[in-house]
This record gives sequence, structure tokens and C-alpha cells, in this order.
Amino acid sequence: MIEALVLTGFLGSGKTTLLAHLLRRPEFSRTAVIINEFGEIGLDHDLIEASEESVIELQTGCLCCKVRNDLATTLHDLLRRRDQGSVTAFTRVVIETSGLADPAPILQTLMTDAMIAGRIVLDGVVTIVDAVTGIDTLSYEEISVKQAALADRLVLTKTDLVGLTPLPLIGRLRALNPTAPVLSAQRGQIDPAHLFQGRLYDPLAKSVDVQSWLRVEAIPQRCAHQHQDVNTYAIVRRDPIRAVTLTLFLEALCEHCGADLLRLKGIVNILESPNRPAVIHGVQHVFHPPSWLARWPSEDRYSRIVFITRSVPRGWVNALLEALDAEVTAVSA
Amino acid sequence: MMSKALEHLHALMTQSLVAWRLTGTVHGTNDGAILISCQGHNIRIEQAPPHLPFQWFVIIDNRRRPAISLVAVLRQVRSVLDPGYATMRARIAPLALVTT
Repeated sequence: MIEALVLTGFLGSGKTTLLAHLLRRPEFSRTAVIINEFGEIGLDHDLIEASEESVIELQTGCLCCKVRNDLATTLHDLLRRRDQGSVTAFTRVVIETSGLADPAPILQTLMTDAMIAGRIVLDGVVTIVDAVTGIDTLSYEEISVKQAALADRLVLTKTDLVGLTPLPLIGRLRALNPTAPVLSAQRGQIDPAHLFQGRLYDPLAKSVDVQSWLRVEAIPQRCAHQHQDVNTYAIVRRDPIRAVTLTLFLEALCEHCGADLLRLKGIVNILESPNRPAVIHGVQHVFHPPSWLARWPSEDRYSRIVFITRSVPRGWVNALLEALDAEVTAVSA
Repeated sequence: MMSKALEHLHALMTQSLVAWRLTGTVHGTNDGAILISCQGHNIRIEQAPPHLPFQWFVIIDNRRRPAISLVAVLRQVRSVLDPGYATMRARIAPLALVTT
């Protein structure tokens, strides 16, 4: 499988600089790059030093809306050219979004297109945040909040310009997305090993790291984080959940939350499968089928589901799961 | 005294009004049902008898409809109380996130 990394962040946050540095690293030598620019004249493409045929620029509009189909078409074309041997046999695709893009539809394209999903696996979303202007951007630009909320990893850039560690910004990012590690790039450079923290599957180790991926311990138990209208919380359950309950729960979440369910990820103790937990992942109303782990990663067999939402109350999510569980249990008795 | 199922339903409907940003009341009735008063509507939800193939009856402004599960109850109630509500169906990707 080819890994796909979605690189996002608000305008001017330093995405292209970071990408340019990454592409000089040997770990990224077999990487195809898709760059989306919002505007008539693309410049970012000229700033990336890589083999010409493996860098593709989408210029027709913002990647999240107008050229979403273009992304699928471009990926199909890239895979075809890889198969024909006309481009390097890349093992990774980096999709750099425009600074104004909503990453959710991009993730959905990667998840739902049958041909893409069969060959390209989502490695995660890396969101770049400008250490100088990030706190103001988060206050005034709603899309930057969503970019940060959806991230698997957050990377601060331009930290050398602010001198001291930008604690208020880090605090806001952690409040907004406590499950994503906050990393720092020095003059646009970051160790790729750090960049892959928090991914679910490590292809080198050939193992699944659910703890690192979920990072439930980063979310305080007593209060949900609230940043503007985005909130993050975890539902933890000791008792196993019936498969039907989980299906109805996810169905109701999609029906009633839709686009407000920014992201959901979790490990679930399914009653019918006590020794093989299910890993679930969704972006808005689009879900991967559950992945069944070979075994529990630790002695802890509690179900843990992390929610990143826009104004979906934790109380409603809890009440929904409890009520469905009671109903299915009663019917099954 | 409410049954366990009605207690859960009561909690769910109370939280649902909050989630949908609606102002209204939810309370249990003496004959074992839940009554919701909101947006000028009176909605009564009662458990279906055990021999029927659905779990609930939802009576909205005196019109009685069956509901196969709580998911259906929520859909019916919200459709009446929230005119801007457009249901969104779950879409399942072709492959799992990781192959293990």
C-alpha cells in the first residue's frame, strides 16, 4: 500500500517550506507530491525541488470543493503512470492543500474512492501552524480551527521568530485537539520520525499503535475541551458493546451530526469478539469498515472513542449510546 | 416509576433537545410514556407491546406511528421539531483503515 499524508495549514503557515525540506530527506525519496494552490498563478510548485513528473499541481480552485474530483482523477492518473513505469515507483503521496482548504472532503475522497482506497492508505493529517500569527488566525479564521481540529499531528513553524515557546498558542492547540502531538519545526525542518508520531499503523514495525493514535490520556476526564464551537472528548466504557449497538450508534451519529462530526476514532470492545477489538474511524458521515486487531494492545480492555465535533454535546452522545445499549440488550434477551 | 428503557429514553430526549438547540420539556407520564412539549407540538412516546415487530409508538399531534428502534424515534421526533433537519446517511469506505 502507498501511504498518503495530507499536509494542511492556513495561508502562509510554512507548508511548502516544510515540504521542500522533507523532500530532500532520503526517507522521502520515493514520494509523489500533489500541490493545490488557490489562485491563478501557482508559485509553490516552483519552490519544490523534486523530479518534475512526480509533482503535480492542481490550480483550478480550492482542493476541498471545486477540484475534489480533480484530486481523484489526478491520483488515478498518478497510479496508472506508476504502474506503467513512467514515474518513480513512489511509496508515499503528499497532498499539500491550499491554505483555505477544509481537509475533511479530501480525507473522504481518499477513503471512499474504490480504486484509490484499494491502493492508497491514509497515513494522517499534518497541520502546520505559524507560531507568530497562529493564535490570531485561530481566533479569526474558522477554517484554521477545523484544520487544527482534524490533525493527527500539529507542527509549529517560525518558532525561531517568537523566541520563547509560544505557550498560549500551544495551550489553544491542545485545548482544540488534545490527541494530536504538538511538534516544532526549526527553520522549516523537522525530523520525519517525529512527523510519524501518532499514526495508527507503522509499516516499518508492521504493528498497530492504538494508544499513540488515540492518546485518550491527553483528554481530561471531567471536562470536554471547547474552542469556539469545536469540542473534543472521549467516551470510555468498561462493558463490551454489542455489534448491533455500535452500528445503530454510528448510524444515529451520522444522521444527526453529519458535517458536525469532524472526526471520530476509537478502539471498541465488541461483545461478540472479546479477544479481537475493533478499530473505528470516521470523518463526518464517512466511515472505514472496522479493522479487527489480532489482540488487545494491553490488559486494558475498555472501549475508548475519541470525538472531535462542532457543537455536538458530550451528554447527547453518552445518552445515545446508553439508550441504544439498553434497547439492544432488552431485545436480545 | 419509570422502566429502565423509559429512563434511558427520557435522558436521551432531554439531551436531544439540547443538542438540537431547542427549548422544550420532557417528562414521564403516569401511564408509562414520555411526553415532549416543544415548538408548539406535543409528542408522546410509548413502548410497543412485546408481540409487535417494533419497539416504540411515536404519537405526534395525535398521529400514531410505529418506530422499529430508538434511531427511528429520534428521526421522527427531529423531523417534526427541526424543520431544517436533513438526514445524512452513513457511507462506508471500501476498505478498512488498516489491514491487520
